[in-house]
Amino acid sequence: MRPEIKEYNFDWMLGSLLKTAANIGNCSEKEIKTLLNYVPYYKGTLEVLLREGEVGTCFIRLLDKYFDNILNAHQNRKKIVGITFCLSPTLFHAMDIVPVTLEVMTGLCGLLWKRGAYDYLDHGVELGFTETSCSSQRGSLGAYLAGLGEEIDFLVCDTPGVCDTNANAFAFASEFMEKPFFQLNYPYIIGDEKTKKYQLDDYKDLIVFLEEQTGTKLDQDRLREVLQEVDVQDDLLAEIEDFYCLIPSPIPILFNLFMYMGRFLFSGMPEYTELLTLMLEKVQDNAKNGLSGLHQTQEKARIFMCYIDHYTLDMKFFDWINQQGIAHLGAILSRNFRDNTRYAPDFQKSTYGIDTSSLETMLTSMSEMNATLPMVRSIRGPFDQPNMWLEESISLARMYQADCVIYNGTPGCRNTWGMVKPFAKEVEKAGFPVHIMYGDAFDDRVESWESSVNRLQEFFSIRGIL
Amino acid sequence: MKSEFYEIASQINHPGLQAWKTEGKPVVAYSCSYVPAEIFHAAGILPMRLRGIETDGMEIGDAYFGPYICSFPKCILQLAGHGKYSLLDGVVITPGCDSMRRLYDCWQKAGEDHQGIVPNFFHYLDVPHKTVHHRIDWFVDRVTDLKSALEQQFSVQIGGEALHQSITVYNTGRKLLQELETLRQQEAVPLTGSEAFAVVVASTVMPRDDFNKALSHYLKTLKHNPTIEHQGKKRLMVVGSISDDMDLVSLIESTNRAVVVADNLCFGVRHDKSDIPLNGDPVRALAESYLGESTCPRMFGQYKKRLEILKEKIAAHRVEGVILQNIRFCDLHGSENGLFERDLEQMGVACLKLEREYGPLTETGRMKMRIDAFLERLA
Repeated sequence: MRPEIKEYNFDWMLGSLLKTAANIGNCSEKEIKTLLNYVPYYKGTLEVLLREGEVGTCFIRLLDKYFDNILNAHQNRKKIVGITFCLSPTLFHAMDIVPVTLEVMTGLCGLLWKRGAYDYLDHGVELGFTETSCSSQRGSLGAYLAGLGEEIDFLVCDTPGVCDTNANAFAFASEFMEKPFFQLNYPYIIGDEKTKKYQLDDYKDLIVFLEEQTGTKLDQDRLREVLQEVDVQDDLLAEIEDFYCLIPSPIPILFNLFMYMGRFLFSGMPEYTELLTLMLEKVQDNAKNGLSGLHQTQEKARIFMCYIDHYTLDMKFFDWINQQGIAHLGAILSRNFRDNTRYAPDFQKSTYGIDTSSLETMLTSMSEMNATLPMVRSIRGPFDQPNMWLEESISLARMYQADCVIYNGTPGCRNTWGMVKPFAKEVEKAGFPVHIMYGDAFDDRVESWESSVNRLQEFFSIRGIL
Repeated sequence: MKSEFYEIASQINHPGLQAWKTEGKPVVAYSCSYVPAEIFHAAGILPMRLRGIETDGMEIGDAYFGPYICSFPKCILQLAGHGKYSLLDGVVITPGCDSMRRLYDCWQKAGEDHQGIVPNFFHYLDVPHKTVHHRIDWFVDRVTDLKSALEQQFSVQIGGEALHQSITVYNTGRKLLQELETLRQQEAVPLTGSEAFAVVVASTVMPRDDFNKALSHYLKTLKHNPTIEHQGKKRLMVVGSISDDMDLVSLIESTNRAVVVADNLCFGVRHDKSDIPLNGDPVRALAESYLGESTCPRMFGQYKKRLEILKEKIAAHRVEGVILQNIRFCDLHGSENGLFERDLEQMGVACLKLEREYGPLTETGRMKMRIDAFLERLA
């Protein structure tokens, strides 16, 4: 790694940037215009976020709070846990443990820095990761393994049985940093009683592990409080997502990102409730006025991202689809599969509810909530198994009247790359044109955004969508 | 002269398999070392590991798998698509790794375009990634499901006594393989690494009773054989991703400056160290023993155990250098090799990390050059 990159901790650099950005809500238009001259390389990100008005600035404040929590955790005598995006942070918040979500940290490097997470990605390889391992963990882990972040006290992942590359990154980091590691393990089916029991047993083991690491017992009342907040958030999410059924969709493109990123970072915390409340107000307002969520353009097409979004560089993906008049109907990351959603009846055996009446019901609720998180739910078994990736993608694409389905991921995602071609064939059979993007959502060097755009344009043109 | 094991290990449709089929007996292939072969043996079925040798193209493998996938499952699919596995009566796939588990999806989908390539018995065996109490119970249930599915498909009963007998037969094979390992520990080894590896590969495809007899005889021969010319040769160990052909080991030994005296590979003796207990419920014994062996990096969080296994082998086999190889896109072995390299080098054991494509002598020149350079370092 270049010596200058080691001058400052990467989480501090991201946090400082976001701290400055969080104050932008108080700036005059002139001040903002001047400020943009000083941030030429992430001006796009800032502009796209600010375009969302109060919701955008609320999201920046949320990110600022997230970094405040991390950077001050040890000073506040809290432990830091390294987790993955498909593991709910709810339990950690309830136990006053500060979660660091590796993929979000890598994604933010791509969104906010001209160099993205390149130096850290490469450093991960220098230390022994394969260069084809998943970039989403490797980026931020490269920084942590170099000692360029607040010290992580222990690691928890829930991807064994779901995504080997993800789980492997945590196992590697645990050995390299000599930190304790816990894994939740998922069977290949979802929704049957045996599987539910297995998941619950695993979740109980996790709580024992966390109690050992923190030296404190799980406080039931605090857990209840956090879960009740999740309950409120789930209602808000369900209501927002309902609006995806409208044509034009009144939901701005970035709201999809806000929904899942907020959930990954602050599920069960009031900061996320505030964000969702503002989002719902905006969406309701747009719907009442018959407005599309797109900025300064008409809705011309609707896409359903069957996997993840594209995070490099400078939010170009989100800006580009807005410019083209494409409404974004969500990704695998967006849906939570709560039992009160519009799509829940199609997936009755694989949704979750929240019951806070006793410790046992709360633990059951949490283990089932975790079992329905992105990837954990969809790609744990054969792609065409009931309730899995194919079924849910087609069902949601139909419900939201998508014009096409787009796959975007990372080369490190062996699991989806192992089946995306048969998956695409089946989705095409169901009547949806499918485009497979070959880039890396976190590393622009794999395929430049310009090349990705060329291929996207070709797809939209040849398939007669735009 | 090459042994009969070498001939068997060098081809998929080997003579023992042909003879078995001629007798009208069923064959079920499986994808991973976590599948208890004893279950098939007890049912009168020949269990054999799925292999990727003899592949001469990749158009079918590439048509279903994406580009960022290890070439081993692609080779298996390619062979299946060309009918090479049409002799199989069944296939069992496990989530050994993400690429291999998707063989289950891709093979079935390929079957829609290539008629007759999916056997009637096509089973997914879920294998947990750790060994605590409820996971063992879960795996016991999955092995029981596999047993029931075989009973139904092949109209057989797999009783406790038959299972105990099969475990005994397999344990005998394990003991013999350990004897072979002991010979490889000698100062003057009586066989090359490629010959030893051929024995191990053959153990995964031959009828076990025949294998035991043949290995027993071979061991006697070896004990009376002169040792191979080893003067000045470096003693190496090969570790890492799946390898089911002898060419990699032969390539190393073709330098005439090295002999491979130990390995720790997926097709290898690493899974055959301990006997399966004969007391108690045989299905539970199988499940506990197979899952309990955390020899594969798919068992996350067990790195230190695996490092200990390497250290023991390095000491016992007097290994002077370790080749840590992984197939491209194999993150599990690839990154664990990174940890091994760090820890073994710290101990003073020289390591070579080598990424490669699966396949007979793909990239021979590049690999040979790196192996030569490594041997120069050892000299």
